[in-house]
Order: sequence, then structure tokens, then C-alpha cells
Amino acid sequence: MTDREPRPAQEACVGPRVVLSTHQLTKDFKSLRAVDHLDLSVCEGDVFGFLGPNGAGKTTTIRMILGLIYPTEGHVQILEHRVPDQRLDALRHVGGFVDVPAFYKNMSARRNLRLLGRMSGEVSEARIDEVLDMVGLSQRGDSKVGSYSHGMGQRLGIAQALIHQPALIILDEPTSGLDPQGMKDVRELVRELGRQGTTVFLSSHLLHEVEQVCNRAVIMDKGRIVVQGPVSELRPARMSVKVLTNDRPRTAEVLRRLLGPDAVLDGGDEVHAGDEFLRFTCGDDLVPEIVRQLVAEGIDVRAVVPAVEQGLEDFFLELTGASSKADRGHPDSSRESTGAER
Amino acid sequence: MSHLRREIVKLLFQRRTYVGWLGLLAIPVIMTIALRLSSEQPSEGHGPPFFSNIAGNGLFVPLAALAFLSFFLLPLVSAMTGGFVIAGEAETGTLKTLLTRPVARGRMLLAKWFVAVLYVGVGLALVGVGGAVAGGLIFGFHPLTTLSGGQLGMAQSLGTIALAYLIVLAGMTCIVSLAVALSTLTDSSLTAAVGTLVIVLILEALGQFSYFDFLKPYLFTSHNEDWFNLLRQPVSWRPIWEALLTYAAYIVVLVGVAVAAFRRKDILS
Repeated sequence: MTDREPRPAQEACVGPRVVLSTHQLTKDFKSLRAVDHLDLSVCEGDVFGFLGPNGAGKTTTIRMILGLIYPTEGHVQILEHRVPDQRLDALRHVGGFVDVPAFYKNMSARRNLRLLGRMSGEVSEARIDEVLDMVGLSQRGDSKVGSYSHGMGQRLGIAQALIHQPALIILDEPTSGLDPQGMKDVRELVRELGRQGTTVFLSSHLLHEVEQVCNRAVIMDKGRIVVQGPVSELRPARMSVKVLTNDRPRTAEVLRRLLGPDAVLDGGDEVHAGDEFLRFTCGDDLVPEIVRQLVAEGIDVRAVVPAVEQGLEDFFLELTGASSKADRGHPDSSRESTGAER
Repeated sequence: MSHLRREIVKLLFQRRTYVGWLGLLAIPVIMTIALRLSSEQPSEGHGPPFFSNIAGNGLFVPLAALAFLSFFLLPLVSAMTGGFVIAGEAETGTLKTLLTRPVARGRMLLAKWFVAVLYVGVGLALVGVGGAVAGGLIFGFHPLTTLSGGQLGMAQSLGTIALAYLIVLAGMTCIVSLAVALSTLTDSSLTAAVGTLVIVLILEALGQFSYFDFLKPYLFTSHNEDWFNLLRQPVSWRPIWEALLTYAAYIVVLVGVAVAAFRRKDILS
């Protein structure tokens, strides 16, 4: 686990420069510590996942990055600019949104983009057309934002983040409230931005989303980083596997031989057409050997299902503490309880 | 200038902007028509100041409307307009959208304050022009008779009316500034507007008690009727200048407080 612990910002990026880093970033709301000495770093070209349960301090951190709230201690560094001291210089390189993106409802999406984009520099009509097209709103660009659905608002939020072609894009749960196709589109868009070399900072509480889209991530809880590193390394070292064979007792025998007599084999009640599932947990490097042994014993292996998603969920909950995730009195979680956050 | 242009565009895209302006325009027009249709003309001391003069001279309509509106409706409009400046955008969530852009908070607030004052100013201009047109059409234009009994020329009459409106606008700017200051301290525009009105009422109440006479020169609400001095011959400028100085002091302090508070405000909405 030690290799997953947070590393100092400058050490995290070998080769590419650090686009975003936080240094002992701390935020107190009266007696509540929402973010606690946070050190993270995002390298150029990263699609960086910012994971954590509701109330972990993700939104508070993003607000500090965007200069919306002042840290109690520490600072944010965006390229060579410190936030909050050099907020204006830093924000020229950043696009993004926090919470639900909000716009002027009596104006069209196009006019909103023009108005907001020009706050970051000159924005051409062609660029407005381009970003509307990127987020799938080109047909509704002249409609008033007041007539938009929640999902369209989310898309417009991404469009306004992209409008001035920033070096760093910060998206706070951008797929929230989208239908499955919308989620897929947004994730594909984020991947595409990453392919183009844009650095993306993606906040989410959906593990599979981060796994699909990001190359590096942190998991945060109670204002602190629990794990930081490449997404592939965030998987638990031990994974949960379901194996489907035609002979459960002999399969169990093989598994006990390989995993040890005390291995927990959970057959559960899952019996399917004469075949039996056996669920077990082992190191991921052991799975091929288990399959080889089962086949060598003459057991028909119908399926081996690495329960990756479930494993990550378990891992996530194990790291962050399953029982207290709903409401810890953090500002983030209190906003959620009022419906302001997803 | 870009801040101002942006705020003006936003103002012009809000339906309530036009509703407010239309409402203000309607009042002197309704006042004139009601007086024309009424069989009984108001006598001196009945109705707002200058009300009894209207039937003889349409130019008194803008003055009567100004006296009538500056008692409550204009402070209400000013408080609501100023109260929305920051808190209203916080309520709708657009404040954080704006502040994730490279925009200096102080400049943004000053632009918003200026546009709020501009909104009240345009509203006042509509009252004046609407009142003058309606009054002129129905009762005719004649030179103003002053409170001292003399008569002003037509150009001087129009100049006096314009100056009266500017003085009242300065007073309303105090209320806008107070509302803007409160607007930076809350995320509810209603709270900011109501808070402003409560403070204005308290200041007015203080001005009513002789015990607090020593405070009177320093309360901006005590100068609400000082523009009447424009209608004396010769014009009594001293109270007018005192009023303007008091207004200026309040505006500078309140806008300063607003800028300082907003620059350090945590945007949590």
C-alpha cells in the first residue's frame, strides 16, 4: 500500500510538467475541516480522476482550485501561477465548472458562450460553433438555455469549459444527470480531449467512470487523499473472481489446494443449470494458474469472471469506510442533502 | 468597459428589467389620467407635494411623481435592484460561473453596482419623461411657479426638473449601494433587499425623534426632500450640497465595504 500513498507534487510527473498541484491545501469551515493538507499533482496530458464518496471534500477542493473559496492553509499551483494570489493569471489557463453548471436562462447557449468566452479572451463565432458541435448542441445553440434539460445544461457546461481552449479542464461530475447515451458521449469526449493532449481533472464518485476515462487518479475521503497513482494501480492487489465449472466440490478442492485450506470459497446460492459458481478472492497473478489446474484436473471451466467492478467498489469502500460515507457534515455532503449536488 | 458591456447585456436580457421600467413609467401616466378624470381637484396639502399644482401645469407631474415615488417605491426598486447584484447571481448559480473566469472581483462588483444605478436612473428618467409628456398632453406646459411664488422660464423649469431627478438619483444610489453591500454578505437577494429596507426605515425613524437631532445631518434619509430647495427663489443651494456630500460619503463607504467583502467572500452557492 505504501506505493499508493500520496507523493509530493513535483515527483509525481516524470517528464511532463505539472499543470495543477495542491500544496498542503486545507479548508476549514468553522470547526469542520473539509480539506486536510491535500497534496496532489496533475501532469500535462493527464486525464486525472478525482474520486471520493459524497462529502469527501472534492467540490471544496475544486472551488479552491478555481479560486472560488480561499484556503485556510496551503495553496494551489496552476502552471506557474499560485492560487489564490495569482488567480486571474491562473484562470486564463483553466476552463471548467463546479456543481451544476449555471447559465443565463433568458439567453441562448450561443450568447452565453460568447459572454463567458470573452471573459477569457477573444472568442470567434466559429469556435462557438465548434464547441457546440463537440457537445452535441449545435442544433439547439440558438435556443434559450431556460428551455434546456439538465443533461443539455451539463453539455453546455462542458462547452463553456472548452470555449477558450484552456490547458486544464476541470469537470465536476460531468455525467451527472445524463442518460446512458449522454454519459457515453461525455466520456468519449473526455477521452478525446485526453488524446488531444488536453489535461483534464475529472471529479466523480463513479469508479467505473474514472477507470474508463482516466489514466491517473486519487481517491479522497474526509478531506484527505487515501490513494494516489495510475488508475491501473488503484485496483486492489487481490481481486474477487467467480468461477463457473461443472464440478463444484472438485473445484473447491483445487482452489483450497492452491489458495490454502483456509481460503474462503463462497458458493452462495448461485446455481445455474447444473453448473455452480464459486467465488473466491486471490492475488490477480494467481488466476491463470488456477484455471490451468482446473483444466488439468479435467474440470470443465465454463467461465471465469473477474468481478472487477465489484472488486473496485469493495476496495473503494474499504479505503473510505463504508459505514459513514453518506453524511459526515462536510460542506459537500450538506449541499448534496439540499439537492444542489448530485 | 467589457465588464460594463457584459452587465448591460445581461440587464437587457432580463424580462424583469422591462417590467420594472414599464411599472415606473405607468405611475405618472396613471397619476395624470386619474387627476384628469377626477371631478374634484386636490387642494393644497392633500396628496403628495406639488399634486395640487398639476391641474394648472403639466410640468408639475414629473415633480409630483418624483415626490410620490421617492417616499417608498423608488427605495423599494433601488433595494431590490442592489440586492440582486451579487446575491441574485449566487441564487441562480451564475456567480460561480462568472468567477471561474479570469475576472477581478472588485471590478466586476463595481460594474454591477454601476449598472444597478443605471437601471434606477433609467427608471427615474422614464418617470420624468412619462410624467412630462402625459402632463403636457393633458394639462399643457407652462413655466413652473416656484415655492417662493416666482416663475421660472421654460428652459429653467426643465433644467430644475432634471436637476431634481439627479439629486433623487443620488439618494437612491445610497440605497443601491447599501443593498449591494448587504448582497455581498448573503446568498439571498430577498434578504439583502429586505435588510436594506429595514435599515432605511430605521434611519428614517431615527430622523423623526428630536432626541436624535444631532444625527440628522449624517443620515442620508434625512435629505430626501432637500431637492425641494431647487424650487425656491433664489435656490437654496446649501442644503442641496449638504445632501450631495452626505450621499457621496455613504456611497463611497458602502461601495468600499461591498468591494472588500466581495473580494474575500467564499463562493459556496
